[in-house]
Amino acid sequence: MIDHFALSQAFDLLFSSFSPWLWVIPGLLIGLIFGSIPGLQISMAMAIFLPVTFGMDFLQAMLFLTSIFTGGAYGGGVTAILMNIPGSSSSIATAFDGYPMARQGKHNEALGLGLAASVVGAFVGYILLLFLIDPLAAFVLKIGPMEMVVVVLWGLTLIATLNTTSMPKGLLAGMFGLMLSQIGMSTTGVMRTTIGNPYLIDGIPVVPAMIGIFAASELLRLRGSNFLVEDKAQRDISMRRILLGGAQIFRHPGVLIRGSLIGALIGAIPGVGSSVANLVSYGEARRSSRHPEQFGKGAPEGVIAAESANSSSEGGSMTALLALGIPGGAATAVLLAAFSFHNIVGGPSFIRNQTDVVYSIIIGNLGQVVLLAIVGLLMLRVLGLVVRVPLPYLVPSVLALCAWGGYGITGTIAGPLTVAVFAGIGWLMRRNGYPVAATVIGLLLGRMMEGEVVRTLQISGRHPMAYLLERPIALVLFVIMVLVLVGVPVLKAWRRRRAAAA
Amino acid sequence: MIRRFAPTHAITLGLVLCVTGYITWSAVSASSTLNNLVVVAPVAVLLVVLCLIIVATALLRPEPDPQEAHYSAWGDLALLAGFAVFCFGLTTVGFDVATFLFVWAGVVVSGGQGKWQPPLYAALFTVLMVEGFGALFPYPMTTLVL
Repeated sequence: MIDHFALSQAFDLLFSSFSPWLWVIPGLLIGLIFGSIPGLQISMAMAIFLPVTFGMDFLQAMLFLTSIFTGGAYGGGVTAILMNIPGSSSSIATAFDGYPMARQGKHNEALGLGLAASVVGAFVGYILLLFLIDPLAAFVLKIGPMEMVVVVLWGLTLIATLNTTSMPKGLLAGMFGLMLSQIGMSTTGVMRTTIGNPYLIDGIPVVPAMIGIFAASELLRLRGSNFLVEDKAQRDISMRRILLGGAQIFRHPGVLIRGSLIGALIGAIPGVGSSVANLVSYGEARRSSRHPEQFGKGAPEGVIAAESANSSSEGGSMTALLALGIPGGAATAVLLAAFSFHNIVGGPSFIRNQTDVVYSIIIGNLGQVVLLAIVGLLMLRVLGLVVRVPLPYLVPSVLALCAWGGYGITGTIAGPLTVAVFAGIGWLMRRNGYPVAATVIGLLLGRMMEGEVVRTLQISGRHPMAYLLERPIALVLFVIMVLVLVGVPVLKAWRRRRAAAA
Repeated sequence: MIRRFAPTHAITLGLVLCVTGYITWSAVSASSTLNNLVVVAPVAVLLVVLCLIIVATALLRPEPDPQEAHYSAWGDLALLAGFAVFCFGLTTVGFDVATFLFVWAGVVVSGGQGKWQPPLYAALFTVLMVEGFGALFPYPMTTLVL
């Protein structure tokens, strides 16, 4: 599986001089800053700094851009934990348990958990990429719309589990998100519900909607408090507690490894990536937990599952780029642009002819992950200070930041207005016990699901079930999904009954 | 226990049903093919059924008092209205002036003490946003003063 000669050349390329590593720490810092500010996206950071790479050699440019990618993936989790604002859609599930931990005064532990899970997750993702790049590429080529439908359905099943007190409310919130995702031009080119507004042709912008419904509505609720963490003694930023929190990941090795594997596998599917990976991983951690009732209230396993999956999906997303020359998302599209600036074409010939460079990129990313642990720890001391800011100052400032973030994503007034409208919807929903996260999941996955279902219907001649039997990967995924969704709860109930009888 | 059906809950369900009705009507009017309604139609039916279940449950078995119902909504609504005006004002008044006014008013409404601290903080925050955050925007940004 590994070409040892190319591997030794890769080590030579990376470690014979310091120059490939020169831009890694600045890249990680840029990623952390962009990832942790709502509205500034990782892909935007990579695009802004792309011209800087013109003067670099190819490997240096790749390490610089991927370090922005790596730093940004973790940065999104920091604001999700501290302020309930997922920096990107890949950090949605991090907020589910990270933010309740922060409100309980366990922000140090939550930040440490998130960092450690991110580091391990990213490490696993790149190790898998190093050893399995060829089989993973073959797997990606076999993924069609039917397989995507199953993966997206898996992500959507999380909706049903988000509200433990009332399943109808959880389902209604999720279905409402799915319905909102249908605004704008459909996959087949039919114009729906634009109310004559050109901004709605592409549908509701998901990230501003997410910022509004998660963050702005939560900030309105915080208005009556004085600090994010009410207990003064708990507001300290303690390196010891961050490290102890980080060490907690080893108490849940199953969650960590499963999250990392889910992330790497789903991340490899172009167009799906970390947005779905963190949700599927969180859902699976909750379903398989002995204490599912603690999820959503500050369960460390929730943070581990979400962060390990979204970080390992980065390695997965590089599979399609390196092995097939296909960008799986916006960030890898910028990397592809960097490829072309240096006259390099990704794909099978790149792997075959320049194996040493491919290995250098992967090993370089493993090195970045180690550096992320150091840079992240140092930055957490600064980022964690947000818990000491009085809420009368923090609430309007972050609300303003949310609106600016909405503009930063759309470039029009549609962004801030979407944030405001969804802040109102989120406020109403939270006040009446509806899980806003379910609406975001529906909104995020609805369009993706519609497109894949339509393509499946077209390919299968409107016989999707018969077509499913012809697709082994989809069939296996479907069977696993049904077993996990139905089989595991039935088995647990049977064990409980047997234990009660004994 | 609170009233059998809180007004804000009725507004939430009313909003969900209105939006669902409009999107469904619009989608069916545009095209009634399977490809166009493959998500809209089943989701609309499910939403109506779920609304009925939630209303019936709430009427037959009054809900426990939601946490948020304990405090007055008016302060939240005032800040929300201010936020909506601020969002609209960003491109009409200018990012700098709108941000300055919103943050100043927001700090005061949220309980910020002192006469000079809130406007000074709002001014510093605005400068930081325009010169820092705004400089990273790949889009033109309207400002009135800065």
